[in-house]
Amino acid sequence: MRKFISLGLVRGLIWQIVGTALGIGILTGIRLLIGLPAWKPESAFVFGALLGAMFFLYGVGVLDDWIKLASGKEISEHIDESRLGWRRYFGASLDHKVIGIQYLTLALILMSVGGTFALIFRSELADTGMQFLTLMEYNTLMSLHGMVMIVGILIGIAAFMNYLVPMLIGARDMAFPRLNAFAFWLAVPAGIILLSSMALGGFDTGWTGYPPLSARAPIGMQMFFLGVSLAGFSTILGSLNIIVTAIRLRAPRMTPFRMPIFIWASIATSIISLTATQLIGLSFQMVMFQRLFGMGFFDPGKGGNPILFQHLFWFYSHPAVYVFVLPGLGLISEMLPVFARKPLFGYKWVAISSIAIALIGFLVWGHHMFASGMAEYLRVPFMYSTLLVAVPTGVKFFSWLGTLWRGKITYETPMLFLLAGIVVFLFGGLTGPPNATVSTDLHLTDTYFIVGHFHDTMFGGYVFPFFAGIYYWFPKMTGRRLNEKLGKLQFWLMAPAFIVLSLEMMKVGMLGMRRRIADYDPALQFVSENQIMTVAAFLIALGVLIFFINVFWSIRKGEVATGNVWNSRSPEWQVASPMPMHNYEKPFEVVGEPYDYGLPGSVYVKFKESE
Amino acid sequence: MEHQNKSSALQLGLLVFGALAVLTAVEFALALTINLWQFLVIIALIKAGLVLYYYMHISRLFEADMDTNHESYAYKLSTNRMGLWLFLLSDLFIFGGLLLSRVNLLGLTRPDLDQVVGLTVTSILLISSFFANRAEVSMEYGDRRQFIISIAITISLGILFLVGVLGVEWGLVPFGPGDNIHSAVFYVMTGFHAFHVFTGVIFLAIVLRNGMHGLYSTEKHWAVEASVVYWHFVDVVWFFFYPALYLIGTMAK
Amino acid sequence: MKHVVIIVILVIACTFLIHTGLTNIGLLPAEASTQSVEIDRLFGVHIWLVSALFSLIMVVMLYSLIVFRRRKGETGDGAYITGNTTLEVLWTAIPLLAVIILAYIGGKSLGIIRRIDPSAMQVKVISGQWFWRYQYPDYGVTTTDLYLPVGRQIKLEMTSNDVLHSFWVPEFRVKQDLVPGRTTELRITPTLIGDYKVRCAELCGASHAYMEGLVRVVSQGDFDKWISEQQSAAPMDPVLRGQQLAQQLGCSNCHSVDGSKKTGPTWLHLYQSEVELSDGSSVEADDNYLKTSIVNSNLQVVAGYSANVMPNFADLLDQTEVESLVVYIKTLK
Repeated sequence: MRKFISLGLVRGLIWQIVGTALGIGILTGIRLLIGLPAWKPESAFVFGALLGAMFFLYGVGVLDDWIKLASGKEISEHIDESRLGWRRYFGASLDHKVIGIQYLTLALILMSVGGTFALIFRSELADTGMQFLTLMEYNTLMSLHGMVMIVGILIGIAAFMNYLVPMLIGARDMAFPRLNAFAFWLAVPAGIILLSSMALGGFDTGWTGYPPLSARAPIGMQMFFLGVSLAGFSTILGSLNIIVTAIRLRAPRMTPFRMPIFIWASIATSIISLTATQLIGLSFQMVMFQRLFGMGFFDPGKGGNPILFQHLFWFYSHPAVYVFVLPGLGLISEMLPVFARKPLFGYKWVAISSIAIALIGFLVWGHHMFASGMAEYLRVPFMYSTLLVAVPTGVKFFSWLGTLWRGKITYETPMLFLLAGIVVFLFGGLTGPPNATVSTDLHLTDTYFIVGHFHDTMFGGYVFPFFAGIYYWFPKMTGRRLNEKLGKLQFWLMAPAFIVLSLEMMKVGMLGMRRRIADYDPALQFVSENQIMTVAAFLIALGVLIFFINVFWSIRKGEVATGNVWNSRSPEWQVASPMPMHNYEKPFEVVGEPYDYGLPGSVYVKFKESE
Repeated sequence: MEHQNKSSALQLGLLVFGALAVLTAVEFALALTINLWQFLVIIALIKAGLVLYYYMHISRLFEADMDTNHESYAYKLSTNRMGLWLFLLSDLFIFGGLLLSRVNLLGLTRPDLDQVVGLTVTSILLISSFFANRAEVSMEYGDRRQFIISIAITISLGILFLVGVLGVEWGLVPFGPGDNIHSAVFYVMTGFHAFHVFTGVIFLAIVLRNGMHGLYSTEKHWAVEASVVYWHFVDVVWFFFYPALYLIGTMAK
Repeated sequence: MKHVVIIVILVIACTFLIHTGLTNIGLLPAEASTQSVEIDRLFGVHIWLVSALFSLIMVVMLYSLIVFRRRKGETGDGAYITGNTTLEVLWTAIPLLAVIILAYIGGKSLGIIRRIDPSAMQVKVISGQWFWRYQYPDYGVTTTDLYLPVGRQIKLEMTSNDVLHSFWVPEFRVKQDLVPGRTTELRITPTLIGDYKVRCAELCGASHAYMEGLVRVVSQGDFDKWISEQQSAAPMDPVLRGQQLAQQLGCSNCHSVDGSKKTGPTWLHLYQSEVELSDGSSVEADDNYLKTSIVNSNLQVVAGYSANVMPNFADLLDQTEVESLVVYIKTLK
């Protein structure tokens, strides 16, 4: 029992409960003192949740070193965590590899939770009429599916960036290890608060939380706003770390165009998430203030402007989707050369394309608002900028084709998922332009066509590359390989099922099925399409289940793989697996190009013999 | 920038403060006479530029590393500096979002605020920035005593600013947060800014305490630099928030 | 190179195959407005683009995956090709040109569907959770069904009573959000006589899925007939008129007539009762009170109820309509 409580996570949760109760009490007390009616549940729960999150951070231990610094005490720079064994993973670790795996675990949990919500409401949608959910339950599950998945994606990309970036550049860890731990552990109470919305009446606004509806939704809405704000803060701090690490801690002679391509993707991603995320936080906090203090930012009755919310919200949320896909596209670029045994075609162009997508991505947000009532003259410029993003994205696709051309291709599980990523992202990319041209968008917006489009881009740009990455780097994390047969089974379940799912979505969308509806008119004759979509969803879930079985089995019994499993040129594969404690006992310097496969005798990195 | 000696560094700090004070006076005078938002924005930008260059020494970010050993103090200092500035860049987006919201919601009108209070708190913050700079320069030249005095004054002025805004101005205004769109914008902008002033005061207080315990030296005083640069950032934000709330446009009925 | 020839043939074949497939499975609803025709035309352009680009990338990819796979026993790496600047420039410049052209076409298309007909008939749309109401200012008629004469441009001037909604008839293609506190505009020229459904297309709360209404496009003759039916159906008796308005404009969603407490105070026994306001003062619910409550409710919020929930009906009702509502409320004893 003692040992259980000593785990950081457990202590954190206990402190979170204490903090929440304390917060509720303090707020009620303050209201009593200033002469207001004591019990206002919304204010009490918001303050309680916030305090709970802060207490969690204290309890899990990520504040300890900073508190020491503030009190003028010394903190040790080099800590040996290995004596803790598996317990490291349940508390505040400063090792980026541990943190990466912690992020990965949290991402898989969130994805499973969000996916389960989808299975529930997809079951409801398999037929017309309300089968077993109330309307509010449906709206809450559908909304949470969206936001839990989004947070799950942010956590998942943090997993890969944190795990890989220091290793790929030859650093022993991130620039700010304590900030890294803090950013991860902040995401845990954030997720808990987000999910607690279900216990406080849910909410019915979709993941976008538009006022005026969100200003009058149940208290669960506040937990949504608060949870996302905290998760956003976690993202911001994480991306700060990535940028500084990538700029400051590269191995000798690793010039910018000799970095692994994933570093470029990580930098581009982090530029967006460092800056734009503040805007979703601000827009959500403004609705929170409207609800708590009557500040009518988005209330027309008080001179407010509902469309202002949409501008603030989408100014982040559009670039956010590039945050979601740039790392995955970077993973594709990173791994494809290994399986094609050929250089990444046009490396410099691919590197710049990530930056270009990130920068142009800041200029397109209005395309989510073509039907919103925003100023008409804004529609055309946003159409131009939106279509422009296709150009650097196309550069990536053509580069991947160029990489495959005249390669020597093999089809291990990671490669299968990479290829699925490319095909599905192609679907997503090609369904972009009809949404970009305003007149066609007026038909498509707020329909299942959009739902199909973004599921394509999410699966293509994140989910499939994410699984590719796990299969690929699992040996690096554990010293064992995931089972190939199970991997291929997962692939053949997920990929075709998903493609069918998204095609059906786009079809019913074009034919008139709106999005975010708990029920649909039988006269529209969409029942069979919805049934197919529900079956497809369950097949995808089955694939994920097989993945989990694969992981649990392979961690213990998987084929031992301590060497350069993929015959990669990348530095992390030149040392044994699992990766040693501080990555590279002997530092390396860069002596060649990262992807010169096929050039006899060429080497990317050379390890220094002596310190 | 490198200074010849401490006194020329302190003198520069005073000169910059003088320029900022003059610009603030000009800004106020302009607001009373030809109230053109373009002029007021330009003045805010000039003030911000002065603080960014002279007080926050942003040029240090772009200095080449003398020592390329990643484990050396000098290298880590530069790395920390980059982290701090990226944090400020991120924070800037919140304040940018608030400013844009103010423009969208209020246009060329502004809330009914007390100009004496406004000018007073602005001056207090400006003077506090002067002392913050003085503190950092003193520390750079090893003058511990001057450092401690200046930091203490900075903190006191920061607290005075908070009293002025949260106590006096918030008490004086004839509206509550939920009354109308002007009040909502006023409270959210001053609230967010005051929160940052508050955290800045805490940060400086920690640095004061540790400074009094002799933790910092000419060679190693990162916490001093960080807290002071953060403080200047908060002042720069106010350079834009002050005209946005108090000066630009006509008062709403 | 023989690779290139095979690929070009396959790409062209695939493009036509996919295009034929996509255009023959009926992906769009019936075209029932002039706007639909234009939008479907642009969809046609997109379908060509999608077919061509999909074929290009998929054919090259699948071809490579088959032809350049590692055969059993083969060792060694692929060909050492790091890039090709000419290709890079081409496949950056050509798409750049293509998107600019497409955006230009898109702009023209937008202009066409937003074409203004000065003789358009005006219809006011009022939405709320979860209903649609229509007012025909030219005819003084308020209805729950939208009847439209075929072949004539309609200018919908729309607003919401509460949260965001969106007006969409898939057969008309165009959609537009309805925003509380402002009026948004949508122009539609129906071309096909028939019955359609308008369904709210912006999530607006629990019953969003069910927020639908009838849209009936009829001949001009039938439309005129329907209008005169509506006009004569409007009760002359102000009390009945008020009762009808209360139903149509959603008043009864918030104000009961049987004494039960809803979002707003009950109308039963309201007239001439003593009402306690939120500022502590007390007033008598006389004619003036009732009138002000309708057109400027925030001036006198009743204790125990929230301000800024009731929509502002000043713009939506004319004098006689307000009076008939007042008269109706007075009868509720």
